[in-house]
Amino acid sequence: MKGSGELATVSRRRWLKTILGLGAGLVMHPTKFLTWAADMTPASDESKPLTVRVSRPLDAETPAQAFTSFLTPNHQFFVRSHFGPPPAEAIEESQWKLHVGGAVERPNEFTITSLQQFKAVTMTAVLQCSGNGRAYHRPRVPGVQWERGAVGNAQWTGVRLRDVLQAAGIRAEARHVMFQGADRPVVPAVPLFFRSIPLEKALHPDTLLAYEMNGQPLPLLHGAPLRVITPGWMAESCIKWLTHIEARKEEASGYYMQTAYRVPVKSAHTGTGVPDDATAPVEVMPVKSLISSPEDGQSLRAGAAKIQGVAWAGETKIAKVEISFDDGDTWQPAQLVGDDRLYAWRQWQFLWQATVEGTFAIVCRATDERGNVQPAATSWNPSGFLWNGWDRVTVRVHPS
Amino acid sequence: MKPSRGIRCVFHICLLAFTAITAFSQEDPGSVSATIGPRGEKLIIARCTVCHSADLITQQRLSRTRWEATVDKMKHWGAEISDQDADLLIRYLSARYHPDAPANLPPLGHEIGKGEPLKQEPQAPLSAIGVAARGAGVFEHNCQACHGGGAMGGMGPRLARNPILKLDDLFRETVLYGRGPMPAWSSMLSEQDIADVREWLLTR
Repeated sequence: MKGSGELATVSRRRWLKTILGLGAGLVMHPTKFLTWAADMTPASDESKPLTVRVSRPLDAETPAQAFTSFLTPNHQFFVRSHFGPPPAEAIEESQWKLHVGGAVERPNEFTITSLQQFKAVTMTAVLQCSGNGRAYHRPRVPGVQWERGAVGNAQWTGVRLRDVLQAAGIRAEARHVMFQGADRPVVPAVPLFFRSIPLEKALHPDTLLAYEMNGQPLPLLHGAPLRVITPGWMAESCIKWLTHIEARKEEASGYYMQTAYRVPVKSAHTGTGVPDDATAPVEVMPVKSLISSPEDGQSLRAGAAKIQGVAWAGETKIAKVEISFDDGDTWQPAQLVGDDRLYAWRQWQFLWQATVEGTFAIVCRATDERGNVQPAATSWNPSGFLWNGWDRVTVRVHPS
Repeated sequence: MKPSRGIRCVFHICLLAFTAITAFSQEDPGSVSATIGPRGEKLIIARCTVCHSADLITQQRLSRTRWEATVDKMKHWGAEISDQDADLLIRYLSARYHPDAPANLPPLGHEIGKGEPLKQEPQAPLSAIGVAARGAGVFEHNCQACHGGGAMGGMGPRLARNPILKLDDLFRETVLYGRGPMPAWSSMLSEQDIADVREWLLTR
């Protein structure tokens, strides 16, 4: 089973291959494959496969057309990890344990069942890779060349991290909470993936340890059996395959906290490195919007056409979304529709009277309730994080 | 104040020398690809795809400085590349996957077969007699990342007491030509290396 190939049409910005296939690593773990295959069952014939950026360990993004739905289905949700899922036995229900320790009065261990003694909470939240849109940064930066789809909106069910920490009794010196999962690199010289969040975010009532995604047990590729959800923050804080929680005085050490996933405090000089002390960890998601329909490169018949998409803004709500047909010289308001919840994305639509034939670039931008406006292009940074430039699709209008 | 004629002269000589050095050190992408392409590709498959698929590399479009930093980082993270290999890789990567390179490049592997194998050792006879002690080292540098310490398995299957060890030809062919997600090692390992590894595995 090496994956039947399916090449996507090559459009202006989407030159990378789309493969309906399996990450080679998955082939070697029959149990993983089965779980994964179950997750990948298409919800409908219309659903497109994920666009694979890296086949092993699997990194794959969602085609933007899938963002016409409020919730992104599990099988279409973007996939990203540093090392791929851990060996099946490491997270098997009978083996898996969550260890809570560090600067706490009563270090503790939980099984999934014992963790469920805490009150269950469900919330809808956007999850987005910090590198989403990295492919648009100039000069180019190394890393997975994500375009638009390393983001999704899902309903997460779990328990509050606060409840688990308070049961363990946080000691006064604790200022940060560190997470580590069961995933391991192929080569031992590669640094382990662990990160921390400040205590304030850890104790926020909306920060969860989630065991369900869209009403289903958390799929393997999304962190089974348990992952962190830090709503409004970029996804590298949402550690998957979680096994260890540690309260600590200092921020986590290690590559993924002290070197990677950091951005310059002031905007970086293009193409140069910036000293480490001038950077801060990536945290809140900046305001951003995407056009989910029409697709880039689509042909439309002249007449009324619906432009639609989604917009989100970290720890605040979306105030407005605007559309431009002249590359940002003039803007027209789109209508915000559907559910309006903190941390979830907001759907929007715009009825376009496409009466003139020709080729049009449709651009959208969002503004959040704090007045932050999506910029035309995001300021460059050495790792290509936090891209939130205007989204753009080009369509052709032909006679009806 | 106008610089003196002498200073201007020195300046021009320096500028000339600098231009000459720069021109010399910048290799023509096309010729680099033809000379070192096959070797570069084989190194990627043998050394980089142990941890990640080659598509992670081929989607990058980076300056030489950034490629140097990347290869250096990977060396620190355990990629089994000698300084000489690293040099070749950097030359290959910065000639082929530079910022102005086209979005669509032929897939990795098209160069392989055009060049000579990386190892130019006299081919041992098919019935190469393995030396277990030497095989341990060959295994550690080439196989352990996937097949685990002591060949107890990892991302790849456990090889200690694996039935394939009894099937000399199948073992050899799997190593030479790859199988499923396992890359081909014909460009990196000699017949003697393979025989040594098998001999060592039989002691496990």
